[in-house]
Amino acid sequence: MRILYVNNDGSGFADYVSITEGTTVEQFFTIKMEGREPSDYLIRVNRQPVPKDYVLQDGDRVTITPTKIEGASPVLA
Amino acid sequence: MKKQKKLIMLSNLLLDSLKKLNRSRLKQIQTLMEDFNDKCLEASKDKHLFDTAVEKSWLIGAESIRSRIERNLNDFSHHLQRFKELINTDETVMPNFIDIHAELVQTEQEFGELQFDLKEKTISVTTGDIVLNDISFGPFGIKLSICQLEKLYTDIPYRIIALEPNPAGGNDSVTHPHVSDERLCEGDGHVAIRNAIEQGRFCDFFTLIKSILQTYNPDSPYVSLDDWQGRSCYDCGYTISDDESYYCERCDREYCGQCSTYCRVCDTTVCLGCSSECYGCKEPICKDCMHVCKECEEAFCENCINEKGLCENCEAERNKNEDECSEKTDAQV
Repeated sequence: MRILYVNNDGSGFADYVSITEGTTVEQFFTIKMEGREPSDYLIRVNRQPVPKDYVLQDGDRVTITPTKIEGASPVLA
Repeated sequence: MKKQKKLIMLSNLLLDSLKKLNRSRLKQIQTLMEDFNDKCLEASKDKHLFDTAVEKSWLIGAESIRSRIERNLNDFSHHLQRFKELINTDETVMPNFIDIHAELVQTEQEFGELQFDLKEKTISVTTGDIVLNDISFGPFGIKLSICQLEKLYTDIPYRIIALEPNPAGGNDSVTHPHVSDERLCEGDGHVAIRNAIEQGRFCDFFTLIKSILQTYNPDSPYVSLDDWQGRSCYDCGYTISDDESYYCERCDREYCGQCSTYCRVCDTTVCLGCSSECYGCKEPICKDCMHVCKECEEAFCENCINEKGLCENCEAERNKNEDECSEKTDAQV
């Protein structure tokens, strides 16, 4: 089954990805964001917060947005 | 009902702006494609010239063409990179009215009520208090200008407004280590923010901005948190703490230790601009304690000028002249 995965980490992208049936949102996060802590991200399914054991459904929209992003000041040429 | 009407109107405005943005993106691709094509034509021309020069053994000419190709190749890779960045898009379609409406509803769920200025055509959300390393910057308003969306590639379509500002001591326009003149330096979030706007993911856009505001990057701030409470030296701009600050009583401004001194006559603290160096002893003196020699017109401190208003050299010169005069008079007598 396919879900829309919106990853706002790094350069960010939105794409349809295939997952196996029965995948929970926690498992999905572990696969896609290996080594990262879920507490450092805002995770939404179909624009709503969900429990970590929520089982993803075909056509779901999963958004993962970091809660900490380093800004900068412009580098003068 | 009124709120629903507002969200519908906003969704239509945003959708319209996104269409303009998409058109502007396609136009930019068109321009880049033309540049890219020109570069290809130049490379093709240079190839023919280079072939001819080598065949006819015009070695200096061939070397000159080679050097031009080398320069053009650098430009070429730059153009190619920009072209690739713009032409690469995700496998998503343009959002429709329902998507945009859902984004606005979600934004209200995440941030509270969305403020809409119909006259300015802006939408804003308010963050909670932003606190970094125990310094509070108060809440910020993130104001997105709907009409500016189409200028995404040439300008920043949003402003970051400090609602209870705690600006850097040395610079009032810096209200956050990464915000200056209401503009956020996006750093690592730049591409993700651009993508969110292009794809009409406005809730993600506001969330990304909030994430940058609640993070401190010590490697590249406008003003570092260590210097936040300090003031800036009026002369060199260096951030100074209360203990390191020197107040010039002549011009009423604050300076760092390097840009200030004290008058060796009256002990008043003065900046370098309000002080002079005594031409005689080379010590700094303030303008009030400065005396100008009547003869050479140089500035001296009171210790280096006599009661007649002459410096040591001019006094000696005058005495010498007077002696010579009296000797001449004696000789004549």
